[in-house]
This record gives sequence, structure tokens and C-alpha cells, in this order.
Amino acid sequence: MDLTLPRTSPESPLDHTAMLLVGHPNVGKSVLFHRLTGTYVNVSNYPGTTVEVSRATARFDRALSLLDTPGVLSLPGRSDDERATMRALLHEELRLAVQVGDAKNLRRTLTLTALLAELGVPMVLALNMSDEASARGVAVDHKALSEVLRIPVVPTIATGGSGMQPLIDALDVAKAPAPLLHYDTDTEAVVQEATALVEELAPHPRLASRGLAILFLGGDSEVEQWLQEKSGDDYARLVALRCAADAASSEALAARLAAERGRAADALTKTVMDQSAHLRRPMAQRVGQLAVHRLWGWPILLAVLYVVYELVGVFGAETLVGLFEEQLFGEVLNPAVTDFFNRIFGAGWFTDLFVGQYGLWTMGMTYALALILPIVTTFFLAFGVLEDSGYFSRLSVIANRMFAMLGLNGRAVLPMVLGLGCVTMATLTTRILHTRRERLITTFLMALAIPCSAQLGVVLGLLGGMTFAGTVIWAVTILFVLLFTGWLAGKLVKGRRIPLVTELPPMRLPVLGNVLKKTGGRLKWYLIEVIPLFLLGTFIMYMLDRLGILPWIIRAGEPLVTGWLGLPPEASAAFVMGFLRRDFGATGLFALSSQLSAEQAVVGMVTLTLFIPCIASMMMIIKEQGARTAALMVGMIVPTAFLVGGILHQLLRIFW
Amino acid sequence: MSNREHLRLIGVPVGSKIRLAEFDPALDPLQREQLLAYGLSVGHPLEVLQQSPLTVVLCDHVEIALEHAVASDLWVEKLPRHAP
Repeated sequence: MDLTLPRTSPESPLDHTAMLLVGHPNVGKSVLFHRLTGTYVNVSNYPGTTVEVSRATARFDRALSLLDTPGVLSLPGRSDDERATMRALLHEELRLAVQVGDAKNLRRTLTLTALLAELGVPMVLALNMSDEASARGVAVDHKALSEVLRIPVVPTIATGGSGMQPLIDALDVAKAPAPLLHYDTDTEAVVQEATALVEELAPHPRLASRGLAILFLGGDSEVEQWLQEKSGDDYARLVALRCAADAASSEALAARLAAERGRAADALTKTVMDQSAHLRRPMAQRVGQLAVHRLWGWPILLAVLYVVYELVGVFGAETLVGLFEEQLFGEVLNPAVTDFFNRIFGAGWFTDLFVGQYGLWTMGMTYALALILPIVTTFFLAFGVLEDSGYFSRLSVIANRMFAMLGLNGRAVLPMVLGLGCVTMATLTTRILHTRRERLITTFLMALAIPCSAQLGVVLGLLGGMTFAGTVIWAVTILFVLLFTGWLAGKLVKGRRIPLVTELPPMRLPVLGNVLKKTGGRLKWYLIEVIPLFLLGTFIMYMLDRLGILPWIIRAGEPLVTGWLGLPPEASAAFVMGFLRRDFGATGLFALSSQLSAEQAVVGMVTLTLFIPCIASMMMIIKEQGARTAALMVGMIVPTAFLVGGILHQLLRIFW
Repeated sequence: MSNREHLRLIGVPVGSKIRLAEFDPALDPLQREQLLAYGLSVGHPLEVLQQSPLTVVLCDHVEIALEHAVASDLWVEKLPRHAP
């Protein structure tokens, strides 16, 4: 049967509007998405960059909506991001799918093709990173592969734009792939029985019943849910069939199905792929191995941290902030704006609202643009380079032992490192973790003890300029709190620890254009999110001051802030500001720096670092974990922050 | 499968070319599924790149890091040094 997409039939799949990009993690789906739509989504060199489906209109067909899905390690889906891809397959009006595969790892690509083929969706296979495959001596016979699969197979290099036009042309002749295998007799009988049941109880408008049956038998929770909704009470018949099949063999049915698909992919790979012998190991591989070496890994990590510190803590927080805050804003902009308001409106509440102590310009905009912006810019640049180099994945290997103490594995390092950029986005990235337990502990630790880039920059700016020992005490205290509370959480949260198994993507030289694009995108997002919040925070401070509430809060907070933490009474204002954003509070403390001793600066920054997560992070935690869990977290985090700050104050009084 | 002796992956020297012989029954089924998804299937050739702090194997040009708890549940057989 010819399944080529007819262009004119009124009942053709052309009535459907979506094209899905699907594939393993870190194979270049998002770069391809950018090439095909012009819409930039975040692209990085580690698995799990995309955790939600992105959508944009195709450049070459304005009626076609392209969907970039999170990478799937395997289907049936097990993690949240795999489930997101399965939801897209089930619920989108699919016209066709493009499977993006890693050309140098054809066997794995074809294992996924074997499953997608069962779903009967018209497909094109884009074998991406074909340059990396060639560099490793891998040659794929695309024509032969296309003949076996009976779908177009196109070699691409998405980062360089190569193969894009042939890929677009191939979309017109997308076809449902030929099945790669028939399972062994017993398994095949179960598959056929389940297929008949799905066909009878819950036929899908676009996906083949056989594919859904295989996914159901493999335990895909999204397919289970869909079938349950459609088949009602009869769903029990499907469950009974699966239970019986599972009981009939010593090996789990899901594993049997996956193993057979793997064998079929292996056989086909051997037929269409040629591997040159005696190639030298690529330099990138040797560098990558050094980065996770049991001895060399640590000095490399220290060197990376030192370079980041020099760029963010010294160049960003000292040099650039000095230029912006003292010279541009302090000597030029703020006097000019103040003069303007005084001349036009005279002294009074309105002028104060803009250029007073809690003025929207002199406080809100100055904090956001002069203090925070230079710091986050340098941080995002450093972060982008590290992301694209492939180093972050290697951190998960180095940090695995430490994370094992927290009941997690090294995979949790990725959200935490991303949290140093922005805790809000990183909370979303916890979806790459496999269990709810891992996601809960990681989210809690990030909300408690991971400072975002803006806050980190302010901390480095204040403490770095004041006392190196203070910076070390701050870092050690935060690390101790992170490890201790993580250890406690690991003991208290039910569930078992999953040992680490992870892919290490190749080390690559970051492409400057991509790093700059990402930095630009993040800065835009930062400005959109932060400036309104900073202005709102400043306005609240202004109103509290105007209504006489701020002095009252300062007096009321005195026993805690002055008595317990040993800070000047005015620091209460920083904590009020911290309720909106921790970095806003930290900046408030920064502004008080001339009144603080080194000990007070350390205690204040430790307490504010551990203080309540910002409003945006809270919203994300509520979205991901629910309101009750979020409230519980806040209930634990705020007292912990003051407890740790107070204990540190007492210790420093004795020993420093 | 050949009749070479089976060793636990965790005990194989760095640089060895090996073939995955079998999964230990003690291995968690979900973890086994994950390994299969990474391409670690029975009979497939691998190269041991590292054993510390984690076991790292090269599988079809992709490096896979495995915690020792997992590597000790993988039985492998060594291939001759000149194997491709």
C-alpha cells in the first residue's frame, strides 16, 4: 500500500496541522526546529534541555505547525519529559513526524524507529550530526536504509544548516514506515490479541492500534490513561491480558519487547552501516575523559570554577558594576533624573516616588540595571559556554558520590547547576529526573540553598569586595546546609535511590552565535521578569515607608534581625524586599554595605541566600509539586534560614 | 554466545574490549530497560574507558557512565585485543 502523503485528497492527513520532531535526547531536534521555523528555543549540549513541547509555524508551509518535543530515551515513556512526547503523539492533529536521529549511533536511532513504525504515522528519518559520524569513520547507506524502512532518510547537519532543503522536500513523500520486526511467537500472539482489543475498544483516529497495544503492554502510562478513558470498564480486559502475559514468562514483558526491538535495530544497522577500523580516538573524547578522570577531574573543575569566578565575580560584579553603578548611574543618570523631577514637579511625594530613597528609578531601575544586569550578563555568558561544551553532563559523574549521600544520583546536578542561572527554570528541568522522590528532594534543595545568578552575583560583589574569608565562610555554610538538609530529606522522603546511568555527550567547542543567542534570550527573559518585580517591590517599600509601616516592621523585626542575627535594624527592610525576590533583598543588603561589618555581611547574605524562594520560583514549584508541597517547603525554608543565620552569627562572634 | 568466561563489568580493566553477555537477574527491570534504550544489549561489543569514579563504556561512539551498582550487575566477556 502506498502511504505517500497525497496533497489533494479532502480526507488526507493534510487536514491535520502538526508535524512532530521526535528523537533521543541531545540529537539536535531543537536546532532543527530553529532551522525549520526560525523560532529559537534553548539549545544545549546535554540531554534534557527541552522539557516541554515547543510549537511554531513552519517557514516552508504556514499551515503547518511544528512541535519540538523533549528527547525520549525510550518509549514506552518513563520520565515526565518522555510522557510529554507521548502526549503530543496521542493528542496532536499529526500530519507527519520527523524522527531526528544521531547518525553515529544508528542502532539506537533504529530502536526508536522500530517502535514509531508500529504507530503508523507518516515519517521522515533525519540522520543528524552526520559530520560527527564521518569523523568517527561511520558511513551509512541512506538509500538502502530508506528502501528497508520505506520512508525518506535524509542526512543532516542541523548546526551548519546542511541537508535542510532535502529534508523539507522529503516531507512531501513521508510515509508510514515498514515494520522492522515481528516479535517471537508467544509475544507476537499477545501483541495481536492486545491490538484486536484496542481496535475494538478504543481505536485512535491517527495512531495504529498495534502501536498503542505495544506501548500499553510495555507499560506506557500516557497510553494506559488514554485507553482507560476511551474504553471505560472494558479497560480491565486489557489489563488482564497484560497480567497474564507477564505471568507467563520469567522476564518482564516490557523488557522482552524492548530487547526484540533492539535486536531488530542491531540487525538492520549491521546491514546498512559501515565502520572504518583503526581510527584514532577524537581529541574531544580524550578531553571528555579527562574531565571525569578520578584525579584530573577535580583540578579541571576547580579551574572551571576559577574562570567563572573571575568572569562573574571580578569582571562582572566589580568592574562592570563599578562602571554602571558608580559612574553611569551614580554620576550621570541618577543626578540628571533627580534634577529633572525636582525641576518639573518640585519636592514632594511624587518626586520621592521616582527619585527618593525608595524611588522607582533610584532604587528599582538602578538595582535592576546597574547592579544585577552586568552580573547576570557575565554569568549567562559563562553558563552558555559550559552548557554547549558538554561539561555539565560530566559534572554528574564527578558529583555522583556527593549526591548519593543525599539519596539522589549525579543526574540531579543538572537542575542544580541550572538553578545557579535561574531557580525558576531549573525547577522545570527537574522533569528529567526519573522518580517523584528525586524531583521532590531536588526542588526542595534548590528552593532552599541554590542562589540564582543575580543573587550569586550580588553575594560575590558584596563579600568579594569586603573579605575573601567571608566569601569562603558563606560558600561552606551554604554547601553544609545543602548537604545536611539533603541528607535528612534523603532519609525522610520515602522511596529508593536510583543508581546513575547517563550518556556523556561529546565535548564540543561552543559556537559563539549560539552562546550569544542564548545569552540574549535569557537576558530578555530576565528583564521582562525582573524589572516589573523590582518596580513593584520598590513601590511596596515606598508605600510601607510612606504609611509608617516600614519603621514599624524594622522595630518589630529587631529581636530577630538585630538580636538573633546581629544585623543593623535597617536590614529588616532587606528581608521584606527578599519576600519578592531573594536577589532584590540581597541587593538591599548590598546597598547597606557601608553600615555592615564583614561578619554582619556574611550572616546577612547566608540568611538571605537561604531565605524564601522568589515569587516566580514559588509559582513554578506550585505548578510542578502542588500548592500543599510548596507551602510545606516555605514553612521549612524560612525558619531554617533564620536558624542557620543565627547560629552562624553566634559562631562567628566567638571564632572570628 | 561464545563459551568465554563471564566477568562482572566492574572488574574488567580499562581499555578492554568486551561483549555484553547477560544482565544479572538482580538488576532492576526499569534499569535494564534504560540500558537497552542506551544501546547496551546482550551480544553488543563495548569498550571500557574508565572504572573510577564511575564505570564508563563506549557503545557505538557514545560514552555511557554507569554507577558501580549497575556495572556489577552486567556480565561481560572479554574480546581479543585486536577486535574491531
